[in-house]
Amino acid sequence: MANQTGKTNRRQFLKATATAVVSLAVVGSAAYYLRDKSSVQKTGILRPPGSVDEKDFLYACIKCGLCVQICPVSAIKLADWDSYLSYGTPYIDVNQQACDFSCDAIQCAETCPTAAINFQIFRHAGNEAVAPLYKKYPDGFPPEINPFEVQILAMRRVADMGVAKITDQEICLAYHGKGYEGPLGDHHALLRPPGSKERIDIAETHVKREICDLCVVYCPLGSEAIELKEIGEGRFLPEVKDGCVGCGVCQMLCPTNPKAIVIEPKEKLV
Amino acid sequence: MSFIFDFLTGDKKLKPLPAKKKDELPHVQLGISFKEWQEQSPNKHKWRNIRWSFLIFINLLFIASFHLGWGVLEGSLSGSRLLGIYLMDPFNSAQELVISSKTGFISHLTTNFWIGFFVILTFYWLLGGRAFCSWVCPYHFFAEMGERVHDYILKKRKIREKTYDITVKYVFWIGLLIVAFLTQQLVFEDLNPVGILSRAMIYGPGLALIWVVLLLAYEIFGIKRFWCRYVCPIGVTYSFVGDLSPMSVKFDLDKCAHCRDCQDVCLVPHELWFVKKGAATREVHFTGGDCTKCGLCIDVCYSGALSFGLKDWTTNRWGYKMAKKMWTGNKQNG
Repeated sequence: MANQTGKTNRRQFLKATATAVVSLAVVGSAAYYLRDKSSVQKTGILRPPGSVDEKDFLYACIKCGLCVQICPVSAIKLADWDSYLSYGTPYIDVNQQACDFSCDAIQCAETCPTAAINFQIFRHAGNEAVAPLYKKYPDGFPPEINPFEVQILAMRRVADMGVAKITDQEICLAYHGKGYEGPLGDHHALLRPPGSKERIDIAETHVKREICDLCVVYCPLGSEAIELKEIGEGRFLPEVKDGCVGCGVCQMLCPTNPKAIVIEPKEKLV
Repeated sequence: MSFIFDFLTGDKKLKPLPAKKKDELPHVQLGISFKEWQEQSPNKHKWRNIRWSFLIFINLLFIASFHLGWGVLEGSLSGSRLLGIYLMDPFNSAQELVISSKTGFISHLTTNFWIGFFVILTFYWLLGGRAFCSWVCPYHFFAEMGERVHDYILKKRKIREKTYDITVKYVFWIGLLIVAFLTQQLVFEDLNPVGILSRAMIYGPGLALIWVVLLLAYEIFGIKRFWCRYVCPIGVTYSFVGDLSPMSVKFDLDKCAHCRDCQDVCLVPHELWFVKKGAATREVHFTGGDCTKCGLCIDVCYSGALSFGLKDWTTNRWGYKMAKKMWTGNKQNG
């Protein structure tokens, strides 16, 4: 019968402890070494809206995946080993499915128990935006003002995931004055167009534009984030403005291959 | 080990009761040999079957809640939401607290985090601490299968089982917290086979499963139950609350034949120290914090000396004694 006390002599214990300490040191140094490699700067992955700075995100996220489950358009996925220690943490692959803010309340942030996706900034921004309205109309709102819409727009504005960039204007259809006709996307993905209450499947929606401006018309933040600018002789180019939060709808819908407009994740690691 | 319980009750100072005489053993009293008595007892797997079904049910519930949109048990074993109530992995939470108290992130942690942390500790305090391991943990399930293969290989090759000092898991527990503090990373979560398996089942497999396979291979061909016995800090965290849990495996010295077959099937045989002839210090004993409440010992016991029971005030007076001890400042022996 083997030793069934669970305790051995002092020498054995010290041996086991030494092994433990050495392995912990190895694991610790490996984690420290991989830390920089794991940041979004290196991996280039886009975090969900309202994610805290990457230096905090890497420990704040416990990799439970509650944000993945709550997202109504399944935009959030969990990273694998190719992002080193960021594996198991949430990211958004905007080519597949961008965050279209159609959940309104930024539910991934609301559900996150460790505030790796921080809801406080959204709550604060939302409350800040409606507070003056409540003061202005203490006896109820006139029909043309919807405080809920004011609130969610204010929440979207602080999402701050990244920023859209024109990769190469030569690729852009509008730059050559071309239009676009065909399905909104080449794969199934969900999108709630601005002003609409229903989500559409982009692969089953047929669109026809004289000048391709899909990135502009479907932007959840509207003209404060992106506008089509005429650059002469019937040629246009989208211009990304300060209001862009990097949700990725423009990249998802861009019909060119490679994409003429892509999101650059905000780089925050200090 | 139950050092918290022993410290509070003073049970450690008790002297062993005199060993049973031969004619007091249950099979002798029935007038049959031990072998006959052993064969008479039905080969039951009651608790094992209940436990495996429950473990599979819980993990399927996680999967169904996501894929079928049931919303009953969302998240994964790192952090979840049961019918709207948050549950947090306690060691993840501990690491989170250690790191965020250093970086100042602690003020960001949500109310749901604190609820989840305390609910899970209370829940497993009531249900016996490491009950998580054998009733919920998916890694345990595979490791239990691996354990059988391991035992088979050892038997075939006629190698004696080698055991190591289990105290080393406390070194890992503290060490992992220190490493987390120094590197500002949830280092353990990067290695945690429970989280990796849980996520793989719910969100789809990934490369991280390689680590789990390696661990299992090491447990089969190397050290028996290496991770669960000597390393896993989740189990250690649960053992702290399990030590003080009212729920435990109860031992009746009266019915025991000291065959020690229960220790052979047990994952943590040191918790059954009292089944050795002449070791028991009381008529009734309860297993300590390391016990996973898997029920394998209860299934194997021929005489029903082992059963699930509550450490209740009348038989063991543990609550009374503990209260008295605290009251009188640890001076009396009870």
